[in-house]
Amino acid sequence: MSAQIAALVIFIVMFVLIVSERIERHIVTLGCALLTLVVVFGLIMNSKEAVLEALSLHSFTHTSFWYQAGGGSSSTGINWETITFIAGMMIMVEGMGDSGFFRWLCMTIAKAVHYRTVPIFMTFMVMSAGLAMFIDSITVIMFLAAVTVELARILKLDPVPLILSEIFCANLGGSATMCGDPPNIIIGTSLGYSFADFITNTGVMAGISLIFVLIYFYFCFHKELKPASGAVRPDHYPDPKEAIVNRQAFVTSCVIFFFAVVLLVTHAQTHLTVSCIGVLAALATLLTAGKRAGSLLRRVDYKTLLFFVGLFVVVSGLEQTGVLEILAGLISKASGGNPLMVIAIIIWGSAVASAFIDNIPFAATMIPVIRSLAEVQGIHMDTLAWALAMGTDIGGNATPIGASANVVGTSIAAKSGHPISWGKYCKIMAPATVIVILISMLFMFVRYF
Amino acid sequence: MSEQLIITLGREFGSGGHEIARRLAERFSLPLLEENMLRHIAEEKGLNPERMERYDESPRTRVFYRTVNGFSNAPEDVIAEMQFQYLRDRAAAGDSFLVVGRCAEEVLKDYPGRISIFVLADQWFKKERTMARGAISEEEALELMVRRDKRRKHYHNQYCKGKWGDSRSYDLCINSSKLGIQGTVEQLELYIRARIRTNRLQEV
Repeated sequence: MSAQIAALVIFIVMFVLIVSERIERHIVTLGCALLTLVVVFGLIMNSKEAVLEALSLHSFTHTSFWYQAGGGSSSTGINWETITFIAGMMIMVEGMGDSGFFRWLCMTIAKAVHYRTVPIFMTFMVMSAGLAMFIDSITVIMFLAAVTVELARILKLDPVPLILSEIFCANLGGSATMCGDPPNIIIGTSLGYSFADFITNTGVMAGISLIFVLIYFYFCFHKELKPASGAVRPDHYPDPKEAIVNRQAFVTSCVIFFFAVVLLVTHAQTHLTVSCIGVLAALATLLTAGKRAGSLLRRVDYKTLLFFVGLFVVVSGLEQTGVLEILAGLISKASGGNPLMVIAIIIWGSAVASAFIDNIPFAATMIPVIRSLAEVQGIHMDTLAWALAMGTDIGGNATPIGASANVVGTSIAAKSGHPISWGKYCKIMAPATVIVILISMLFMFVRYF
Repeated sequence: MSEQLIITLGREFGSGGHEIARRLAERFSLPLLEENMLRHIAEEKGLNPERMERYDESPRTRVFYRTVNGFSNAPEDVIAEMQFQYLRDRAAAGDSFLVVGRCAEEVLKDYPGRISIFVLADQWFKKERTMARGAISEEEALELMVRRDKRRKHYHNQYCKGKWGDSRSYDLCINSSKLGIQGTVEQLELYIRARIRTNRLQEV
């Protein structure tokens, strides 16, 4: 009992400190992880096994870390597979950004639609969703929003409608694949799903939702998308070729990205794990980068990786002390044993929670909960996993702080002189979030029951 | 000292800080930067100043916004950083100016030509000025003073190490109710001229 209370208090303190932003979040999770190891596992439980389980260092030496014929990681603790994959993709994406790939892609698409506002609006939404399927949504929005501001200035347009719709689609695209959004990577690696599992389940939900989202945003913004009265001189349009900073690096990064996507799509067939694919993509990027390799490595967001390390240990504290089983029991009770109600609670609960708190710790916390629910309620684990993935990925769209892409996108908008208030953001994005969650829930009811 | 003169003036609400700043700017022939700063920034960058003005000198609400990879989505943070950068750029270009509020005493602390002043005043003085300026009741004036000073303090302390109104954060703090606006301006002028002379001697 005292171990459960201590683990819960540490977890709550961690969450409050993350939200308050008074201390950097990686320091918060690492500090709380140390407390979990020393106080919960050491002093109260006096269990060396619990410490080793939480650190999970042995996972590196298992063949299944690199090559896996099926099944997820059964152990609790630090999910090194997620961390290795994210680190690898960070290096690959740094290489792509360095070469001018993202700016080139945006400019090429804008040119292909002859710089007409509505086609740019639509294609950029689809591009945002498409890129976010394979690249983290922060990077997608960082580049896309910057180019959008640039194009909006040339076309004398308000960039806010474009940026908001791109943010939504980045989060939606991220929900479609196993590697699109950190919660999906955690869910996929923890429960042993493949890229194909995600694309044929959350991917279908995201695809159907995208159609509704395109229509929704068009109706929200069609008035703002009317071309400006002052004629824009065609010679002011940027040339996509100018976006390429380094031609050799550009070609190399395109090839590496292509192979990374192929490996991710086919990993169920090749049995290469996502951590293995991440390492391969990073190695290929570094080996071909030459002198730039050092600079690419220095720019990796180590703080986020450390944040994950600490987070997994704290969640492991909750799991190993049985707190999450109690939570699963409460959900089970609230649902009255009705599987449809369990799914509704998971998807809406995750969506509401993710709208206000970081969806990464939330997803990490909920995985043991849905494991327990699947055992107790007899609901298929897959259905619970897809409900959790869609809830956490899409729920974050509803508020400016719900997902990292929202923060970066609205920050870029504000820097360009277009600050977006909470009211303005939520008025547009919250209904879209409700629409997608509703579509996903109905889809699951029809398909899985 | 370089010939550059940068006067930063923090103030309590109702202390007459704006009026003192305006008169000092006239006496030293300095451009006065206050609310107009956002208009300058908007003009330079081709932005709409009206969208930005509501966030001028405002603190951000911590729980409502987040920072990711150095990107803060609090409009208050973004507008504040734009103003800080504008001040840094003008100072780096060698310009002389007088700036009211906007954490300028800390943003420009590395410039030898910077003189930082904080104007405070007794409660009765601030209350009378606030009532006269806004044609409002005593109660409304007191409430407005508390609210505006709280906002300025939170804004300042979010971005600066030194605390708002703390004498250790400024070169000179002066109570405008003791000498009145005119008397305060005269004393400040004497102080600034003395500083200019001292710094010139040090340079020689």
